[in-house]
This record gives sequence, structure tokens and C-alpha cells, in this order.
Amino acid sequence: MKSLRRDLSANPQAANVTSKVFVRSTKSGKVQKIVRELYLREDIPCSSKLCSQCPTIAPADANGKIAPFILSDRPAGTTAFPRGHYIVPDTNALLNGMDLFEHTGAFYDVIVLQTVLEELRNRSIPLYNRLLALVKSDEKRFYLFFNEFRRETHVRRGPEETINDRNDRAVRMVATWYSSHLQQSAKKGKKEKAIPAIVVITDDKENLRKCKEENVAALSLSDYVSGLEGSEMLLDMISESKDARDAKETTRGEFFYPEYFTMSKLTTGLRAGTLHQGVFNVSPYNYLEASVKTAAFDKPLLILGRDNSNRAIAGDSVVVEVLPQDQWKSPSTKIVDEEAVTRNDNPDTEETDAVVTDRERKALQEEVKKAHGKNSDGKPQPTAKVVGVIKRSWRQYVGHVDSNSTGSQASGRRQQNVFLLPMDKRIPKIRVRTRQASDILGQRILVTIDSWDRDSRYPTGHFIRSLGELETKGAETEALLLEYDVQYKPFPKSVLDCLPSEGHNWKVPVSKEDKGWTGRKDLRDLLICSIDPPGCQDIDDALHARLLPNGNFEVGVHIADVSHFVKPNNPMDLEASIRGTTVYLVDKRIDMLPHLLGTDICSLKPYVERYAFSVQWEMTPDAEIVSSNFSKSVIRSREAFSYEQAQLRIDDKSQQDELTESMRTLLKFSKVLRQKRMDAGALNLASPEVRIESEGDEVGDPLTDVKTKAMLDTNSLVEEFMLLANITVASKVYESFPQTALLRRHATPPPQNFEDLQKQLSKKRDMELDVSSSRALADSLDRCIDPKNPFFNTLVRILATRCMTSAEYFCAGAFGESEFRHYGLASPIYTHFTSPIRRYADLMVHRQLASAIGYEGEDGHAVIEGVSTRNKLEDICRNINVRHRNAQHAGRASIEYYVGQALKARGEKMAADGVDAGIEEEGYVMRVFENGVVIFVPRFGIEGVVRLEDFVLPGESGARSVAERRELAPHRTTEFDSEEYTLCVEEKGHPEKERSVTVELFQKVRVNVSSVKEEGRGAGKRRVRILVTEA
Amino acid sequence: MPLDTSTTYPLTRLRLDGRRWNELRLLQAQISTNPASSGSSYLSMGNTSIMCSVHGPAEGRRGDSGAAGSGHAVVEVDVNVAGFAGVDRKRRAGGSDRQSTRIGTIIRSTFQSHLHTYLYPHSTISIHISVLSADGSLLAAAINACTLALVDAGIPMPGLLCGCTAGMSGSASTPRDPRHDELDPLLDLSLPEEQELPSLTVATTTAVPVGENNMDDDEEAMKVCVLTMESKVHATYLETMLAVGIDGCSQIRELLEGVIKGSRG
Repeated sequence: MKSLRRDLSANPQAANVTSKVFVRSTKSGKVQKIVRELYLREDIPCSSKLCSQCPTIAPADANGKIAPFILSDRPAGTTAFPRGHYIVPDTNALLNGMDLFEHTGAFYDVIVLQTVLEELRNRSIPLYNRLLALVKSDEKRFYLFFNEFRRETHVRRGPEETINDRNDRAVRMVATWYSSHLQQSAKKGKKEKAIPAIVVITDDKENLRKCKEENVAALSLSDYVSGLEGSEMLLDMISESKDARDAKETTRGEFFYPEYFTMSKLTTGLRAGTLHQGVFNVSPYNYLEASVKTAAFDKPLLILGRDNSNRAIAGDSVVVEVLPQDQWKSPSTKIVDEEAVTRNDNPDTEETDAVVTDRERKALQEEVKKAHGKNSDGKPQPTAKVVGVIKRSWRQYVGHVDSNSTGSQASGRRQQNVFLLPMDKRIPKIRVRTRQASDILGQRILVTIDSWDRDSRYPTGHFIRSLGELETKGAETEALLLEYDVQYKPFPKSVLDCLPSEGHNWKVPVSKEDKGWTGRKDLRDLLICSIDPPGCQDIDDALHARLLPNGNFEVGVHIADVSHFVKPNNPMDLEASIRGTTVYLVDKRIDMLPHLLGTDICSLKPYVERYAFSVQWEMTPDAEIVSSNFSKSVIRSREAFSYEQAQLRIDDKSQQDELTESMRTLLKFSKVLRQKRMDAGALNLASPEVRIESEGDEVGDPLTDVKTKAMLDTNSLVEEFMLLANITVASKVYESFPQTALLRRHATPPPQNFEDLQKQLSKKRDMELDVSSSRALADSLDRCIDPKNPFFNTLVRILATRCMTSAEYFCAGAFGESEFRHYGLASPIYTHFTSPIRRYADLMVHRQLASAIGYEGEDGHAVIEGVSTRNKLEDICRNINVRHRNAQHAGRASIEYYVGQALKARGEKMAADGVDAGIEEEGYVMRVFENGVVIFVPRFGIEGVVRLEDFVLPGESGARSVAERRELAPHRTTEFDSEEYTLCVEEKGHPEKERSVTVELFQKVRVNVSSVKEEGRGAGKRRVRILVTEA
Repeated sequence: MPLDTSTTYPLTRLRLDGRRWNELRLLQAQISTNPASSGSSYLSMGNTSIMCSVHGPAEGRRGDSGAAGSGHAVVEVDVNVAGFAGVDRKRRAGGSDRQSTRIGTIIRSTFQSHLHTYLYPHSTISIHISVLSADGSLLAAAINACTLALVDAGIPMPGLLCGCTAGMSGSASTPRDPRHDELDPLLDLSLPEEQELPSLTVATTTAVPVGENNMDDDEEAMKVCVLTMESKVHATYLETMLAVGIDGCSQIRELLEGVIKGSRG
């Protein structure tokens, strides 16, 4: 029998095949040995434009294209490398300085090695993705060099060599090869003069030493950056963790926080049910109190104090251990702000020995008292402590430097520690080392958290960039967008390339033979009009109604046919799926789709022909639906009304034309539909929303632009038909795709969510809230009326809304059919179909509906466009749910900022006249704490915390400055009754009734609203200061 | 863990193991490796290696009346994937699992129609395939190994039957966009690629020119004998994948011819 062993000598190709052997362990603990072949080759180009050899050997891909060469022939020089240089970073350099590599001022012409990329992927997936994004972008000139596959640069691991040493050797090998390769092959004429140096960047001392031995230019990241222009700023961007760790190992061995459990202990604990996993949620009113909602408990577990929260940051996914019952407490009734308590901490030293400072302890102590006190009503809730973090959700944070934390000699270039106060109150201060403290003081800056070690009270992070001066419009808008993770960069070219080439001249093809007309109904004869808010450019929907010969009515809803223009999986579709939704700020709109589509080609503008997706019903005169039908169509809108215009036209008896008549029909139907919906138990919820209508007149009082949303009949006309269309489409899509239909549900809120509100209502107003069904809730909400206080009902609705879960997109297969219900709308099934220009979910539903009705599209692909795997769809749902929520928050924050600015402008104007009195308004008490209340001011749609000092006691002048008022706080005491929800504020030593103010829940109070420059956390945000003037 | 194809391939045009899109793995083969059988072969494509032996044509078993009565030889195939062939060692040796049954069925029906079985009525040709190590393209490698072993056994067939896999990188589950007409087909997938990307196996044969037929009408005589795909891919990509696969088959055919001619000399 012949030997079957590979005989490599016979085959000339075989010399180039080697194998890579590595061992990995699987999740279940098995060890696997993996053997992979490696085919070594010589046709991997160096990608330098200087090279004359590589272009001849560069291979073509399957489409016959050769990848363009990336590295510049005139790379930037530094003082150390005047002839220019290419950078070869090793893994540590990327781990510590990714922000630097992304910086636009430096770090061009970088050679990223395969070795480094693989190592980075094992160390940190987010960094790996960021690096890939850099490689993909053209402007930074990052070249991915697959050194392991090039014969000359392939490195075999030696028998005694550690993997790190091997990788370092591979990096040096590449540097050596590159220099000699460029020497040999540089284009003639340029030789000698401008062959760039190859600079290895590494933070490994051993590697630096070996580089020196082997004559490879190498620098540590900080040394390299020091040689660049603007190095102070760049140096700050190096990740903090490594340096700090080095320093600390020598100096301190003392720990503030308990150690986390090991992963295996966590998993066994979770499995055994002794530990619980959930998301760490910090209370917006008290930074020391957090809650974790777990599957095992009805109510969220409380986590009190810094040592129990053990370095967890809001949003992290944590594992908690429940504390013994004698340590259970009731949730806090006090407002605690971080900056007020820890104002004087010094960022440079960790002077105190315990993690909980005395002041913090005091703040907590009172909690304990409460828990063990007479209070039988506020039963102590289970508390827990964090014992492990499954997944950090650290992101980049926007904030500003705490001016108290900068040293006295702020002018120097010395590196110092400063505290950064993030805008988000739930995030602790971040310690940042910087050389430019004086420059970034008073600016909005972006930082990231690098680590939070046991021996550090606060997390450490590093500076990324400055957004600009505090309180400037540009900086604040960008801060807002970053904070809510809104993608606001302009659309890249690859996205714009997907737009129709005709641009604004795009038209519906004239000839019906054109493929654009395939499968489309011609609905141009119908009298269709659109009704939108004034100034609306992205018109998603239009309507029509007409009498049929049989006495019934035909009603149609026509939605912009966005899916015709946005094909699945092209760059535009991917970008839209990432953005998820259009974000509306007061003075800015961040589009989901490029301008051309959103406001022109897709938008159902009047007088022009547009592609649409139409839903048509035949309805009896009593608004009973006889039949419904879906079709792609071509329409011509006759008019674009604003809500007011439409209302006027309907009300104007002299208008008797067909269009107006059809609008009247629609209005009539909408009222019937609304009534039906209400009868089914739909909730009429309220949100504290205001609208900003800026007419751009600078002279007037900017506050007049702040308007509470008016509800006209026409608003509800449009709303009713959109709901109807959404519901009709949802059933159709679900029928066709029982597993993958994209739907929207609103879960029935668990009754315990309402417990607090129910208790408050019964105590204060003797009212019942029946939450057994949405119908019962709707009815009981209707009964919550205070004849003396017309706003009371709205207030209760706002509070009730907050008790509910939020609606979410989901994929039909993820829930049982009974779970599809939309609680708020009282509909068994629901989806979003009517706004594809501004929501990605609608676009997906359009595709699904198109394939459900068998629409084939121009090229016959539309049928399968809608079909998508459930996994992918669930990813999309997850993303758009987050984006949707962020967009709402960003919109609200924008309005809040605008109101603050408007108040400020007004304040300044008044100040010029000599008085800064603020505005007298009505407010309502929403929540009562032990040391303050939360007041809602409907006029501006804002709610604010009123602290002790901001109560104007009888016989006291309201006109005091912020500083003066702060002095008042220590002189005041309160009597707080948590069962009666009342708070009585009085001056110390003056318990007389005449000199105190008592407020209670739901009470209407007179407040004085003004805008003050807030210090501490919200700096630049213009805190809206509310003074209670009259209870 | 090494990188995956889908993220880095578009950037470097290099696959996991350093190959370009149209390159086969190293193919090595020997025939007449087992003198105790009528014909035998050993073939490795990359790290996939397969041993194959053929017994027969031998007298048909009694009672095996179904096909035996029809005047054709019956092809029997037995596939055994060794317990140590994959990454995880399988304890249960010898038993047939879904994968080996599937390969066996495809090979049986392929060669049943491919071989000139009418020359051996009432007889049985049994093929035994042992997979020694599996690293993707198992079916294709098995077809190639069988072809070699059958040639070694001297069983007549119209031409060499050569198999190969072809896959498609990128998002192959959605239709291709006519405006971004870039396709990234890959030839001869290894195991990690096979797990990640949609792929098909194709086997072709080209009748050996007989008599006056010239060598130049090679293309026309080419015939696809096996085409199987287990993953989902959008129909628009299929043509490209098939073309790449067929091209791979003809490359393999040259290699196998080299093996056969080489062993003769």
C-alpha cells in the first residue's frame, strides 16, 4: 500500500501553502484545535502610489476591477520624518488611541495589518468596527494590508514564542519589508528624495527596544503625537486607562469598590436564581438611587448608594444580588443632585478612605430612617447590590468641565485631572486628564469613558473633541444630537448615488407603456388633497372620498410610494435603516432619506403627478367598511392644505365645490370612526407637548412662538384615516406573512404600574382609577374631573401615560397573536404604514404589502423585496425602537432648550428695562419630595424641580438672585407627609403658619418662570427656574 | 479568532485562507492506493481528504431484484465520515448521519446514470467513501475521488465527472441592484466559508472525444451532471455562481487528468 502522506515536493504550488493552527475554547468549555490552510502569495500590493512594481501585479476581482492604490505619494511629514511617513500601528496603539486615528487633523496614510486587525477584533469588537469604518472611508487613506498572506511578510510562530511576541515580530517584519520594497520600486526620479519612512507605533516597551535593534523607526503613541502640531489636544485623546493603570499599580493598593464576581459564578448564580439580571436604571431625581427590573420580581429592585451600585452606569446590563430583608427600603422621597453633594471633591486625589463620603452617607441615612419608620403604607421594597456587569453600555458623553475642579494654575500646559459633568444627570462625573484645561473650560465637550477601576471613585475617560462654546446654538444642537445618538452627518456620496439620476426633474412617465406604470392604477382623476401641519414639506399622505353609484362611499388614503425609490440593501436603504426615523428639532430637521426624495420626488405635492401606495375602502354611509383594496397608483393631489386652511374651507358654507364636499364627507366619517374607536376603549392620552412656531420675526417676544398644540377637527380627520389605514394594512400584511410581518404593539401595562397614581388619586381627590381594561381606564380617566381646575384631567392623563409601557415595533413571529394588541388604540393589530418618508418601519411595511398584493414592480423584483428573514427583521425592529425613542427625546430636549433660550432672551430684554421678573404662570404639582416638588407648567410644556430655596415664603421678596436664594436653603426646614403628599416649607425657627408655604400633590400654584444660567450639571442649558409664589 | 469573509473580503479581495476568488485549493490525488480493491483513490482538496475504493462489477446479490432485473449494473454507495474528520471528535463511529446519507444518495444516483452500467447486467458496483478530514466542499471532493477510483477500476464512463463548489459573498439573499452590478463569486469553498455564505455544488463531465471528433468542440460536449444547493440565494446570483462553478470543474478536470496520466507512467 502506498503512503498517503502529502508529498509536497512534487507540486511546485505546494511550497506556498502553509497552515495556521490555533486552539480555541467554545462556550461549553470544549477545547477545539483548528487547522486552517494559508496560501502565501506575492500579488498583494503595497498600495503606495509611489510604487512602480505593484500596479503590474495587482490582481483583478471577479468584475475585472483592480482596487485603487490608497497610500499617498506625498505623505505628510513631521519634524522627525521630514520626508513623509506611513504609519504602521500595532494593536495596543489602536486600543489606546482610536479617537486619534479618527481625528481629521492627523494620522493619514496608515497601514493596517491583518495581524493587528485580527487581534483588535478579539480585544474589542466596537473598536474593530470603527477601524473598519476608517478603512472603508476614502479620505483617511487607511490601507488594509494582509501581511499574513504575503510570502515575504508571513511570520511563523516560534516554538517558545508567545503570541504577542509573534505579532510584534510580524509588525516589525512588515515595516522592514515596506521600507526595502519602496526603496526598490519607487518611481524613478523620486528616488532618494521622497521615500517615506515607515513608522511603527507601539506602546510596548519591549517591542520598541527590538525595533531599535532591527533598525525600524518606532515610537510610542504619545511620543509620536508630541511631534505633531496641536499635540496638546491630541495627547488628551489617548485613552486614559493604560497610563493610569501603570501609575496606580505602584502607588495605591486600596480599593473603593468590591470586586465583581467571576463570570462562571455569575452564570451559575443566574441559573440557580440567586442572582438576577437586568438593566441598571438611575432615577432622574436622585443619582444615588437606581432600579433594576428583573424577571423574578414584580417591582423593580432598588439599588441605593454608590457601593451597592458598584461602578454600574445607567444603561449597563448588570447582575444583582438581593440584599437581606432587614436592609430593604422604600424608594427615596428626596431630590439628590450629585454636584450638590460632591461639589468639593478633588479630581487629583482620592483623599477620602471610604467610597461613601460622609455627606453622601447623610443623604442616605435619612432614607433608612424612613424605611424603618411608622410608615406602613410605603412598604419597603427589596433592595439589591450589583455584583457583576454583563455588558457595559458606555457611549460617548457630552458635558462640560466642572470649573471647580480645574487647578488654580489653569493657564499652564501641565497635565491635570478635571471632572467632566455629563449633561445626562444619571451619569456620574467623569475624571479626564487634560493638558488644555483652560481652553476647554466653558465649552461643550465630548468624552468617552475608558474604565472604572475598583480603586477609583469616579470613572476615568478621555477627551474626544470640543463642540464649541457653551450655550451657542451650534454646540448645543450638536450636543443634543450626540446625546441622543442621532445620525446627523450629511449623507455620504454612496447614498446620494442611489437617487434617481433625473434629480428634481423626475416625473411620472407620460406613456403608460413605460415600465414605471406596470401594476399601477391610474388614480389621477380622483380629487385628492393632503392636510398637514403648516409649512410641511415632506407630505406622506393624501386623502379622497367620493360617492359611488350604489350609494356607498369610496374613501382612499394615498401614501407616498417611497419603496419605489429605495431598493432594499442599497447604501441608501442601509443608511435609512440605521437612521430609522427623521428627527424633528425646533429649528432643524434631520432627515432619514435624502432631501430630494423626502421633500420632492416622494412628497405628495399638489398639482403634480406622484407615485403612491393607495388603500381604498368602500364604506356605507354609516362608515361600515364593505371592502378594502390596496394598490400601487399614480395620483395628482389637487391641493395641500394646512389644518387651519382645511378647517376654514370645510366651515365656509359658500364653498360647494367637489373637493370641499369630499373633505366634508371625510370629516363626517372620521367622527364616526373616532366614536367607534372610543367605544372600543381607545385611550385619549395626553402628553405635555408644545409646538414652536417661529415666524422668524426677531423683534417680537419669542415666547409667543411657544404654543400648546391645538386640536382641530381636521387634525383628527387625518389621524382617524391614518389609523384606519394602518390597521387595515396590518391585518393584510399579517395574513400574508404570519412570521415576518412588521407590526406595532402596545403592551397592556401591568396594574402595579398604576399603583402609585391610584393611591394618590384616591387619597387626594377620592377618585378611582380602574385599570382592569383599556376601556375601563378610558372611562375612569374621563371621570377624573375637578370642576375648579380644568387642567386637572389633562394632568392625570399625563401621569397615567407615564405609567404605561411604550409601544414597540416587533416581528409577528416574536409574539403570540393575543399579544399583538395595541392597548392605547384598542386595536387587536396595528402597524405603521402612513409615513414612509420619515419612518423606516413604514418603508418595510410598504415592501411587505407590495409583495402581499403580488405587485411585481418595474423589474419583477418587488415580490421578494418584502420577504426578509425573521432574524434580520428583529434586528431592524430593535434598532428602530431605539431610534424612535431617541428621536422623541431629542425633539423634547430641543423644545426645552428653545423655551429656555426664549425665556433668556425675554429676560435680557426685561433686564434692559431694569426688571428681571420672569413670567407669572400657572403650574401644577406633579410629585412631592421631601425637599422639593416637581411642577409642571402647561404653558411651556416644561416640568421642573423646585427646591427649598425656590419657595417664596409669605412676606418675602421674590426678586432675589440665584446665589442669594441658594443661601436660603440651609435655613429652611420642611415637614413632609408622604401619605398625604404634602410638603410644608418654613424658615428654621419660624414655625408660624403665616410664614410657611404648604403645597400638596395636584395643587394648582402660581409660579414665576425665568431662565437662569445653571451651574453644575446643566450648565449652558439654561435651567428654567420656577419659583413658587403662591400656593 | 480569525476574521470572517463577509467583512474583510470586500476590502482586500482576499479570502480567509489567502486565496483569490477564482482559485482552487491545493488539489492532490493518487490512484490505486488500495491494491485489495478493484479501484481506489485518495484525494485531498485543501484540508478535505477522502479515500475511496471501488469493488466490482461483481455478481448481483440474490433477491436484489429491483434494478438488477433491468439489465443494468447497480451502483451502491457507502459513505463513512470518520469521527476525527471534523473539528469536534464524534464518539459515534460508523453510523450514518444526515450528511453522509445525503452525499451517498447523490453520488449513487449520479454514477448510476453516468457510468455505462448497461455493460454489466445483473451485477453490482459498490463504492466505499471514507472522509478522513472534512474542510468544506465535501460532496465535490467525494465525486472527484469516486471518479478517480472508478477510472482505476476500469469501469467505462463517457468522461471524467468533476465536481466543484461555488459561493457568493455579500448579501446574496436580496436581488442584485442593477446599478451596483458588482458580484463577488467565490470558487471552491472551505468549511468556514461554506458555513457563512450561500454555495452550490456542481459537477460536469465532458465526453472524451471518440474517433473523428476533434478536441476543439470541448465546450459543447460539456454536460452538467450534478447541481445541488442547500442554502438560500436570490435567483439573480445563480447564473454567476453556476458559471464560476463550471469553470472550476474544468480546472479540476485538467488536474484529475494529470493524476491519471501521471500514475500510468
